[in-house]
This record gives sequence, C-alpha cells and structure tokens, in this order.
Amino acid sequence: MNKNFTLLFFCLFFFFIASAQKASLKGVIEDTTAKEKLVNTTIALLRAKDSTLYKFTRSKPGGLFQIDNLDSGKYVLMITYNRYADYYDTFSIAQNEIKNLGSVMMTLEANLLADVTVRSKIAAMRMKGDTLEYAADSFHVRQGATVEDLLKVLPGIQVDKNGNITAQGEKVQKVLVDGEEFFGDDPTVATQNLQADALKSVQVFDKKSDQAEFTGIDDGEKTKTINLKLKDDKKKGYFGKIDAGGGTDNRWNNSAMINNFKGKKKISAYGIMSSTGKTGLGWDERNSYGSGNNLEYDDDFGGFYSNDNDEFSGGTYYGEGVPKSWAAGLNFGNKFNDDKQNFNGSYRFNKISTTGTGNTFSQSILPDSLFYNKESSTSFNSRYRHSLSSVYEQQFDSSFSLKFTGNGYTGHQNTFSNYLSQALDEDGALVNQSKRTISSIGDNSSLNLNLLLKKKFKKQGRTISWNISDIYNASNTDGFLYSQNSFYAKGIMILQDTTDQEKKNDSKVNIFNTKLVYTEPIVKNLYAEINYAFRLSTNKSENLSYDKALDNKYSILNDTFSTHYSFDVTTNTGGAALKYNGKKITFGAGTDIASTNFNQNDLFKDTVLKRNYLNFFPKANFIYKFTPQSRISINYNGRTSQPSIEQISPVADNTNPLIITKGNPSLKQEFRHNINFNVNKYKMLSQSGFYVYGNLAITSNAIVTNQFTDDKGITTYTYVNTDGNYNMYSGLSFFKKFTKANFNLNYGLRYSGSRYSNFVNGQKNQTDNYNPTFELGFNKGKEKKYDISYWGNIGYNISKSSINTSLSTKYWTQDHNLDFTVYFLKKFEFNNNMEANLRQKTVVFNTNNNVLLWNAYIGRKFLKKDKALLKFSVHDLLDQNKGYDRQLNTNTITERNYNTINRYFMLSFVWNFSKTAAGMPAPAQ
Amino acid sequence: MKKYLLFILIFACRPSLYAQNIFISKGQIEFEKRVHFIANVNDIFKKDGDDDNGESDFINTIKKQLPEWKTTYFNLYFDDKKTLYEPGREVTEAGPKGPDWFNDPAQDNVVFCNLDTKQSVAQKSVYDSKFLLADSLRKARWKITNDSRDIAGFNCRKATTIINDSIFVVAFYTDQILTTGGPESFNGLPGMILGLAIPRLHTTWFATKVETTEPTVSTLTPPAKGKKATNADLSTKLQSVFKDAWNKKYAQHAQWIIEL
Repeated sequence: MNKNFTLLFFCLFFFFIASAQKASLKGVIEDTTAKEKLVNTTIALLRAKDSTLYKFTRSKPGGLFQIDNLDSGKYVLMITYNRYADYYDTFSIAQNEIKNLGSVMMTLEANLLADVTVRSKIAAMRMKGDTLEYAADSFHVRQGATVEDLLKVLPGIQVDKNGNITAQGEKVQKVLVDGEEFFGDDPTVATQNLQADALKSVQVFDKKSDQAEFTGIDDGEKTKTINLKLKDDKKKGYFGKIDAGGGTDNRWNNSAMINNFKGKKKISAYGIMSSTGKTGLGWDERNSYGSGNNLEYDDDFGGFYSNDNDEFSGGTYYGEGVPKSWAAGLNFGNKFNDDKQNFNGSYRFNKISTTGTGNTFSQSILPDSLFYNKESSTSFNSRYRHSLSSVYEQQFDSSFSLKFTGNGYTGHQNTFSNYLSQALDEDGALVNQSKRTISSIGDNSSLNLNLLLKKKFKKQGRTISWNISDIYNASNTDGFLYSQNSFYAKGIMILQDTTDQEKKNDSKVNIFNTKLVYTEPIVKNLYAEINYAFRLSTNKSENLSYDKALDNKYSILNDTFSTHYSFDVTTNTGGAALKYNGKKITFGAGTDIASTNFNQNDLFKDTVLKRNYLNFFPKANFIYKFTPQSRISINYNGRTSQPSIEQISPVADNTNPLIITKGNPSLKQEFRHNINFNVNKYKMLSQSGFYVYGNLAITSNAIVTNQFTDDKGITTYTYVNTDGNYNMYSGLSFFKKFTKANFNLNYGLRYSGSRYSNFVNGQKNQTDNYNPTFELGFNKGKEKKYDISYWGNIGYNISKSSINTSLSTKYWTQDHNLDFTVYFLKKFEFNNNMEANLRQKTVVFNTNNNVLLWNAYIGRKFLKKDKALLKFSVHDLLDQNKGYDRQLNTNTITERNYNTINRYFMLSFVWNFSKTAAGMPAPAQ
Repeated sequence: MKKYLLFILIFACRPSLYAQNIFISKGQIEFEKRVHFIANVNDIFKKDGDDDNGESDFINTIKKQLPEWKTTYFNLYFDDKKTLYEPGREVTEAGPKGPDWFNDPAQDNVVFCNLDTKQSVAQKSVYDSKFLLADSLRKARWKITNDSRDIAGFNCRKATTIINDSIFVVAFYTDQILTTGGPESFNGLPGMILGLAIPRLHTTWFATKVETTEPTVSTLTPPAKGKKATNADLSTKLQSVFKDAWNKKYAQHAQWIIEL
C-alpha cells in the first residue's frame, strides 16, 4: 500500500518534470525534388553557444522524427543525409514547448568551386632541384598566426575551409616538420598547431615512395608533400655552472662549465681544479658539457651499458692518497642533414698529483710454517694527459649506417715510491728486512681507431655488419731501483745484498682487429648468425736494467734482468649461432672457434718461441618473459684461454727482489665454464618485487701460481695447471613500497664462495672462502620536508687453507650508511651523511680499523628557480677517515691501510645560469 | 523489433557505398592503430626548463633501438546497440622492436559497450595485472564541425572533444552506420566513429575496412576475466602508484593511455 503510493508519487513527479519543464521537437524529413520521405536521416541538436552535441536521433519510416526531454534554450539544428547538403537552422525552445518543424527539405549536394586568390611574391620563392621553397619571413601574417594562415598567403598553395591543402594543383597528403612526420597522416595537426613565426621556410616537393628511396628505382608513386623547416634560433641559447669552494687544510674545489648551443650545434667547455677528489666531469655533467657517456644498448638483455674506460674520466678519485687535480676540456658537436650525419669531437687535459702513505700487513701460510710481512710506503705520483676524441656517425638510409670513432692521447708520468718492509717468522723473529726506492719518469701515448658498418637487408632479420679497428699503445720510461735487503737467522744478520739499477723500459703494442657478422632468418623468429674475425697483435718490448759502474754511471747491462722481445699473436676466429626470438621465449646457442699463434722472438738470445692454440667459446642462453617486468634468464659461456706471454716465458722480474716471478713454458690452456641465472619479478601496481641471481664459474686446467718461499723469505712464483677452482656468488633481494607511508623497504641475502688451488713449497694448497651477507635498506621522504635513507649489510667471512687447517680466518664485517636531509624555511637544506665501516679484529689483524665517516652541509638556495646555492660543508667531522682494504687470497691474507682525505670545512657557492630563446610552439591544444 | 531498415551488403566497396544510401547496423570494422612512438618518447624524456636542449645520452641511445611507428590492428564488432572492440590480426613489423619494458601499458584492450543501457565493460592489461572495468559510458562533450573526410569509403564528419580535462581528441564519424559506437571507449556521436586521433598521445585509429558480416552472439559478449574495478578505482590506484614516479611525464602519459 505504502510502497504503491511512493511509486505513484514518483511517477507523478517525473511526469510533472517531463511535462512541465521539458520541451520537444518534431518534424518530417523530405527530399526537395523527389518529395521522398528520407529514413535514417541524422537529426542532431548542438548547443548554440559552442556547437557541442546535445542530442541526436534518426528519422523513422515516413521521415518522422521527434526529440523529447529538451532543456529550454538556444540550439543549432543539424540535419545530415549522405549526398545531400547539410541543413542548419538556429532556433530557441521554451519550457514545455512542443515545436513542430513540419517538413524539412533536403537538397542534393552541389559542388561549388571555391574562389582562389593568388598573390604573387616571386622573390621569396625559389626552386631547389625538385623542391619549391618559400622563405617564411617574406610573407606577412598577423602576430600569433598559425602555419595554416601562412600557407593561405603562399602563392600556388590553397587551403580550403576544412584545412585541406592543395599545392601546384595537387592535394598535399603529407606535412613534415624538419623532415619528420609531425603527427599521423592528418596534415592539419601540424598546420593548425604550429606558429608561423617559428618557420624558416616551407618546402613543397613530390616525395617518392619509401620503396623507391630504398631501391633507388623510381616506381612513379609520388606524394605531394610540404616540409616545414623550423628556425634554428628557436633552439638557441646557453647554460652553465660555476662552482667555487675554499676550505681549511688546503682544500679547494672550483669548476666552471658552459654549453652554448645553436640548433643542433653544441660547443661546451669546462675547467676544474680540485683537492677534494673531483678529477673530471661527473656522470650527469658529461652529457651536458662533455662528449656524453658512450651508452650502448644490448639487444639480448634489453639494457644499457656504458663503455667508457678512460682512467681519467671517472670524475671521482677512488685511489690511495691525497689527490690534487686539474682538468679542462673543449667539446664540439653537430648534426647535419636532418640528423643523418652526426659529429662530436673533444679535447681534454687532465693532471693529477697524489701523495700517499700506507701500511700493509700480511700473513702467508706455508705447509709447515708461517710468515708475517710488514711494509710501509710513501709515494708521490704525478701524471698528465692530453686527449683528443671524435665520433662520426652517418645514416645513409634506414638500412645502412656508418660509425667512426677515433681517440688518442699523449701523456707523461712521474712516480716515486719508498718502501720499508720486514718479514717475520711464526715467533716474530726477523727473517729479512728490505729498503727499496723506485722512481720512474716516462711518456705514454695511444691511438684507437674504429669503423663500424651496418647494413640491414629488405628481408627482415638479414643483416651484415663489419667492424675494423686498430689500437696502438706506446710507453717509454726511465727509472731507478735501489734496494737493500738484509737476511737474518735467529736474529743475526747473515747476508746483505744491494741492488742499484737504472731501468729503461720501452713498449709498443699494435692490435689490428676486424670482424664480419652475418645474420640470416631461417623461419619466423629463428635466425642464424655466422661470424669471422681476424686479429693481429704486434708487440715490441724492451726492458733493460743497467748496473752502476765504477764511474757511478749506470752503464753495465745486467743480462739476467734485461729482456728484449718482439712477439706477434695472430688469431683467426670463426663462429656460428642460432637465435630464437619469440614473444615470451628467447634462446640462442652457438660456438666460436679460434686458432691462435704465438710467435715470440727473444732479440737478446736470438731464440724463437712458438705456440699454437685452438680455443673454443661455446655459449647458450635462455630467457622466458612472464610479463614485461618479470623474467627468468639462464646463460652459459665457456672459453678456453691460453696462458699469457709472461706465464710461459722464463723471464725473471726483480722489481721487488724478495718476490720473483718466472714463467713456465709447458703450460696448457685453461677452460672456464660460466653459468649465470637471474629471476626478476616486479609488480608495477603494488610496487613490489624480488630478484634472485646466481653465478658459478668453474675452471679446469686452471693456471695457478706455484710459489716457493725459502728460509730467507724470498718467494719465487711460477705457474702450473690444476683442477678444482671455482668461484660463485648468488643472492636474493625483496623490495616493497608502502604507498601510504611513502616508505620503501628492501632486504636480502647474498652469498659468495670460492676455491682457489695453488702450490706452496711443492705442496698443493686449497683455499676456501665463504662469505654470507645480510642486506637491509629503506628510504622515506616527504616533498620539501625531509628525505631519509639507510642501507647497510652484515657479513661473515671464513677463509681456510688446506696446508694449514689449524689456521682459519673468521670475522664479521658491517657497513651502514645513513643519509638525512631536512628542508626548512623554504630555501634552506641541512644534510647529514654517516657511513660506518666496521671490521672485527682477528688474531692477526688486531688493530682497530673501524671508520665512522660523517659528512654534513647546510645550504641556502638563492635566485629564481633556486639557481644558486651557498653551502657550508664539513667532510669527516670526526676526523677518523682512513683508507682500508682487507683481502683473503690463496694462502695469504692481507690488510692495508693508507692515508686519504680527512677532516676539512668548506664554504662553496654554486650558480647555474642559462638563457634559452623562447618561442617554440606550444604543444597541440 | 527492428526500427531501421537493414540492407545486407555482399560487397562493400567505395563507389557503391557512397552512391547508394545504405545504412548499416551490423558488421565488423578493422581499425589500424598507429602510434608515432618516437614522438611520445621525445615528449616523455624532454627535459624541463632550460638547462638542456632536450637530449640526453640515454634517450639518444635508446631512440636508435626503437621503432619510429607502431602499428597494430583492432576489430570492432557491432550489432545495433552493442559493440565489442578487441585486438585483431597480428603483424610483425620490420625494424627494431626496442626493449619490452619500454612498451606502453593497456595496448590490448577489449571493450564491450551496451549503447542502450549506457554501460561498458573493458578489459585492460595494466603492467602485471589484468583489470575488468565495468562502468557507465564516457560522457564526452563533442563539438561538431563542418569538416569532413573520407575514411574506408565512408564520408565522415569531424567532431572534437577534450577528455581528462586536457587531452584533445578528434573523431570522424559516419552517419551511414547506425550504431553509435567507436574504437576503444569512444562513442556517443550520431553514427560510427571510423577515425580517431589524439595528437597529445601521437596516436590515430583509422578504419581500414568495413564488412557487413553479422557478428555472432558469442562474439558480442563482454570480457569476463580480470580484477573487477571501476574506472575511478583504477584511476585512484594509478595516482598512488605514480605519485612518486621518477619521471612525472611518463606517469602522466601512462595514466592517460590506461584511461583511454
């Protein structure tokens, strides 16, 4: 009862609204001439103020139509029927009105010729081959006019009301901007959205079909095309950075960089001087002010790598000691011919000087005894280098490209080192003592040329690439070795010897390399690859040692420690592989076979050493992609590698008279298997994921050291083959973002292990290392409030040697890093970075080597867009930074300390400046 | 009961369609979707402000590995008031493919629309998840223009609208097809949308052919697999995911694409 009443109420209510407030429109659609009723005519109501669609309907049999429920207001009635002229009418409708239009007459379309006004301005036009070019500025259009407005005034070009362009009587089908398709195949998008004053010229030409451009055979298919060339000064400007800082303890860090660009042309220059460890451009600076980071893309794993290997270009000094560095560079880059040609050239100067002091303490385990070695050193090292580099790329067409790179440098190096070392036996009694001074001055130079040609054929997957390169390195040094060694037995000196030599070393290496790779599609997604490579390495090496004569001149050639070799290595490599590249699965397998010939000529003794090796390089990989963000991949690589020339030639090296290295001419090749697997899973929406990785490398016939330490503490190293060496690492890591708290968490475990076999005083020794580590990290931030991040790890290290099982080394290590920044009073920021490296003491290494490095700064931003920063910073607030390294190698464990940059305070000012010509067109709509 | 006259065409070719006044209410349309991929990449990685002339190593390197254009095909089945849009034939394109993780989300949408009840069900692959979005039809305010062009033999009128408050959309519809549908979730014009262009996303959909083969009942069923949600749910979810995105332009681009 009640329910029915409610329903009735609502019915009445809606009836009331419909009848009291809503209007209707009706009528009949008819053909003017045939007086036929038109069915299915579209009757649309547009809002009069903005022509937006309000309601629409179709006419029913008998041409009848009716639209109900109309709001009162002003409308445009649009009636359309194919091949009939559109019918438009404006009308107003009042509340409750029922408007009957009666018969609406539709007329068959008639074609009207548009009036065309041609204004001539001949001087502003010219023919370039088949291309008609208009200078855009010669034709006046109003401020803010679009390209379409400009086209309308160009002689020979007509634009109709729909934006369709006709040039030289033909319909224009393509509009390009700087030779590129601006957007889709609708020319109006470019012409109606770009501003006329951004144009340099308008070009009209017949574009040949892509096929014709590729084959060079004209197939007669042409498309009338307009190319809009943008003005270069629309992309002109400069930007730069000045960083000036001075501090306590003779610390300074100053740099200035500028990049001036005009269109595609880029000239940049920089200068840096620093005593805080900055040696060159940083990663992000290199892109703006240098010649780039040389990123390469690897198709197989879908990622990038940087192949920069210049020791000076790291940007930061990580070595031992305290550095002072100077760097300057000039870079020029340009692109021509619609980016099809690309050149980049640069000059760099680097100079770095370091002074260092260090202490090394090591324990060597022998089958029946132990040795301890203590060494302290001071060194000075200074080097400079002038480098030139260039890259030229040319894209001949979409299928054929060339890339040439050329790099070279010439440099000078000056080193001086002083060592004091002691060897002690198990009980701490002195076995030997040594004082050494080494100095050398030398020049080095290098030239590296590379040419790569790539061609893709019309058949998909058929490609050929050819690489040819030449690398030349030369170095020449002149130096002195002075060492005084004393040998003790039960604390009493029994022998003393002195080495006082001049050493002249000269080495030249030239490596020529060429490689041809051809791929051929077999069936869909399956490709075969064959390759051939030839490599010729020519080396000349002269190491001369002179003893001091009675006249105090170093004029007596020492035969034992002098060598003069020339040796050539010729390698011919051929290989074949199959690759399958499916949507979910990718796999590949194949092998390369290389024949290597060694030819070493001892120019002193006039003997020739020849070796021939046949090396195999099998490989296989498999990838399965669950989703674009999740995949599993397994990789196998195998390789034989021949011994190096030092490992087979019986040359003695006495740079350190207590450690002598000699080759073994009867060495065999070693074979190394490497298996790698990876599982990655990332969930974009929950922003969580994990990865698991593992790598195992097993070497059979591994070339290892055979060491003999005599009772005087002199160790002689030679090389032998052995089995059982392996090296593995693995890990898993989870990460998750807690969106609401804006908190990122990651944690994981990693594990590494290895076995290294060698021979010690005739006995085989196996050294096993194990290292499990737990990792944890998190970060949390609030924009313009604070950022906090932490990462850390705790690991355990175990090392055991089979020759002396009672001596195993076990210790914990911990690393923690906490970074905390607070932003306050809008322009201020306060940052703290604390890094703790903790290492447990061991029986052997019983000094405290924990480091807590605390850096902090407070900064204030200035100027528009925070372009300037004034910063007061402190490095190593607690003044306890030190260089440290602990290594577990075979039967030797070593700990090394060295000096590094300690506490200093610095005030610095950073200013980023820029100027860019504005006026690029705003993006569409 | 059928309100409209239905002509079954055996051959659909350009001159015959234009010459005769034939109205179609059942059939199948193939759309070619073209994305100017490089232009999108340029948009996403263009640096802000004036510190650079817009090119970084990363983007210059990757651009060489990316296809300039991406072309895919979709089929739109329609019968009176129901439409179903789904991926069509697969073509393998010559040239570089680029890394997988560089591809856009929601590139294999299946969209079912009931124009009578004004409801739609869309299945979208959004990264690692498949969503089933049941919602009402998009309410677009179409501006009708006088421009027209020929698409697949049909005379089409141009209409424009703005979606997501800022994305300009151009549609070309023909009133010779009575079903008021279109590709993706675009509809509501007085006929079938045969051409669609979104300049901001450098993407176009153009009909390549219209066939009048009547779709089977089983074809015109809404997709059923996926996590159930509404468009608003997904939008909120994406906003929280993209809130701290390292590249805001990518986040915006991805969100627009997913919400098409």
